[in-house]
Amino acid sequence: MAVKTETLKQVGTQPRQKPLSYTVGKILRYVLLIAIGLILIMPFILTAIGTFKTDAEITAFPPKFLPGIWHVENWVKVWTTDIGQGGTFPRWLFNTAFLAVTIATLEVIFCSMAAYAFARIEFPGRDAVFAFMLGTLMIPSAVTIIPAYVLMTKLHLINTFWSLIIPGAVNAGSIFILTQFFKAIPKDLEEAAVIDGATNMEIYRNVILPLARPALLTVFILQFQAAWNNFMQPLLYLNTPNKYVLNVALSIFQQQFKAQWNLTLVGAMVNAIPILILFFIFSKYFQEGVAYTGIKG
Amino acid sequence: MTTITKMEGKPAQSGRMLAAIVTFLLIFIVLMAIGLMNAPTMGGPKVMASAATYLAEVQRTALPFMGAVAILAIVLGLVYARAVYRVWPNHRRRQNMIMGYLFLSPYLLITLTFTVGVILFAFYISFTNYDIFTSPQWTGLSNYAKAFRGFSDPTQKDFIQSLYNVFWYSFIVVTVQTSLAILLAVLLNTPMKAKQFFRTIFYAPSVTSSVVITLIFMWLYLKTGFINFFLAKFFAVLGMHWQNINWLNDPRGLIQLIVTPFGVHIPSAQWYLKGPSITWMAVMFQNIFTTVPTFMLMFLAALQDVNPALYEAAAIDGANGWQQFRKITLPLLRPIILLVVVLGTIGTFQTFDQVYLATKGGPLGTSLTPAYIIFREALGYQGPIQMGYAAAMAFILAVLIFIFSYIQRRYISNETQLY
Repeated sequence: MAVKTETLKQVGTQPRQKPLSYTVGKILRYVLLIAIGLILIMPFILTAIGTFKTDAEITAFPPKFLPGIWHVENWVKVWTTDIGQGGTFPRWLFNTAFLAVTIATLEVIFCSMAAYAFARIEFPGRDAVFAFMLGTLMIPSAVTIIPAYVLMTKLHLINTFWSLIIPGAVNAGSIFILTQFFKAIPKDLEEAAVIDGATNMEIYRNVILPLARPALLTVFILQFQAAWNNFMQPLLYLNTPNKYVLNVALSIFQQQFKAQWNLTLVGAMVNAIPILILFFIFSKYFQEGVAYTGIKG
Repeated sequence: MTTITKMEGKPAQSGRMLAAIVTFLLIFIVLMAIGLMNAPTMGGPKVMASAATYLAEVQRTALPFMGAVAILAIVLGLVYARAVYRVWPNHRRRQNMIMGYLFLSPYLLITLTFTVGVILFAFYISFTNYDIFTSPQWTGLSNYAKAFRGFSDPTQKDFIQSLYNVFWYSFIVVTVQTSLAILLAVLLNTPMKAKQFFRTIFYAPSVTSSVVITLIFMWLYLKTGFINFFLAKFFAVLGMHWQNINWLNDPRGLIQLIVTPFGVHIPSAQWYLKGPSITWMAVMFQNIFTTVPTFMLMFLAALQDVNPALYEAAAIDGANGWQQFRKITLPLLRPIILLVVVLGTIGTFQTFDQVYLATKGGPLGTSLTPAYIIFREALGYQGPIQMGYAAAMAFILAVLIFIFSYIQRRYISNETQLY
C-alpha cells in the first residue's frame, strides 16, 4: 500500500516534466525499432526485387534499386527449368513439403507417446532412460552423420526418403518439451477416467492429447521448419535430381547458373516463400516454440 | 512384447520366470540386431549381396565389435530381466512397465539404432583406416595423432586451422549475438502498441533456411553487390573513398589489417597471427544477422516473467534505467544467458552450411571449419575417402564442445541452476 501511494504522489508532483521526455523517448524508440526492422528485412526486399532484374542489372555496379523492366519471365524460367532426371522446381517443392509434413507428423505421434510415458507412467528405469535422452541432446551431429550415412548405405536406404523419415521421426528435444507440458497438466483431470478403469492408452488419447493441442501444434511447427530447412542430411542421402529437396537443389542450381544471380535468387525465394507464409499464419506457434526451447530446454 | 502381454491372464508366480527370460532374450536380440547393422564391415555390392555374405564379412572383420555389443546386451538384458521379475506379481506395476516401454519403443528403437549404434560404430572406426570399400585395419591412435600433425607439419594444418577459425568464430559470434539479442529484447519489452508486430517482423528472416540466407548474402557480398554499395555511400557522406572488397574471397586477417599500417608484416607461415579473415568475418556477420532474432525471442519470453513490481520499487529508490538493467534485468536473465551462450557455442562450433555453400573453406583455409573438413574427408572430396580419420576428428570436436559448454556452465551459473 505504501509503495502504491508513493508512486501516485511522485507522478502527481511532476505533471509537466514527464509527458515531454516520455514522448521523446517513445518516438526515439519507435524510430530505432523501425530502423532495426528495416535492416533485418532489407536483404529479403532487395532479393525479391532482384528476382525481376536481368543478368546484367543484377551484378551491375552501382546497383540500381529497381529493375528497368520487371522481368516476370525469370520466375517462369526457373519454375520450368528441368535439370534432367526429373529435376524440376515443382518436384523439389513437393519433395520438401512431403518430407516436412511426414516427419513433423510422425514426430508429434512418437514424441507425444514417449512424453506420456515419461510424464505419467511409473516404471523401473524411467528416470535412467530420461537422463539418457537428455544426454543424447549434447551429441553434435558431426559425430553421427557420417556413420549414419554408412548405415544407410548398408540398409539400402540411400536416395530414398526413408533415410530422412526414419531417423527424423523422433527427437529428444521435442520429447523433452512435451514431457514438461504433460507434467503441467493437473492430474485430477484424468482421475475420473482412472476410476472408470481407463487404460493408459485411453487416458493418453482421450485426456492428454486433446488438452495438449497447443503444445503438439508448436512441436509440429518447430519440426516442420527444421525438416524444411535441413541441409546436411539430404545433401548426403539424396543423390538423384528427382529426389532432391529444395535446399540441395538450390546449392546445385547456384553452381550451374553461377553468373545468373537473378535465377538463383528466384530459387531462393521459391524456397523461402512457403515457410514465410506459414510463419505469418502461425507466427504465435513459431515464437512459442522458440520460447519453449529457451525456458524449458 | 506380445508374448509378455499374452501371459497376463495366468497366475503371476508361474509366469514370472518366463517373463524374465523372454525380456532378456528380447533385449539381447534387439541390441545384437542393432549391433549387426552397425558392424564395421566393408560395404560394396559383393558384401551386401545377401544376409549370408554380410554375416560372413561380420565374422571376418567385426568380431571384437560384436563382442563388445554382446557384453552390453547381456548386461542390459540382465538388468531388465531382474526388473521384470520383480514387478511381475503386482498387476498394476507389471501393466505400467509393459505400457511404459511400449509407449517408448518407437523412440528407443530409432535412437538406439541411429544414435547409439552409430556412435559405437564411429568410435570403433576412429581407431581404424576405414574407407567403406575395404575391411577396417586397426591403426590405434594414429587418426587422432594425424588430426594434430599440423603443429609439426605446416602443410597439414587444415584441422588445426579449422579449430583456430571456429574459436574466433564462436568467440565473436556468441558475444555479439547474445549482447544484441538482450538489447533488442529489452527495447521491445516495454508496453507499446506494435510490440507483436515488431516481434514478428524481426523474427521473420530467421525462419528461412540457412541455404536461402547464404545465397542471398553471397549475392549481397559480391564485389559489385549492395554491401559494398551501401558502404561506399556511407563513406562518401563522411567524405572518404571506399575501395570495394571481394568479401567472400579476401584472406586478409583482422590483426593483420590492424598492424599493417604500422609497417608490421606477418609472413604466411605465421597464419595463426593474422586473426579471422575478412571472408570469415563476413560469414560471422551473416550468422549473427539470422540468430539474433531467435535468441531475442528467448530473452523476451524470460523478461515477461519478471515481476514489474521489481522495477517500480527500484525506480522509487532512485535507480536509473541503466542501474535497473544492471541490477535487476541481467541477474534475472542469467539462466537464459547461460542457455543462449551454450546453445550459441554448440551451434557455432558445428558451422557447415555457410562454408559448404559460400566459401568451401577458402581463401587460404581461413574459413575452414571442423564440420566441413569431417564432411570433406569422409566423402573424399579431396583425395581418398578417410572415414576413420573423419570419425576421429568428429570425436575431438565433440569433446571440445563438451568441455566448452561445461566451462561456461561453471562460470555463468555460479548461483543459478538451469535444471
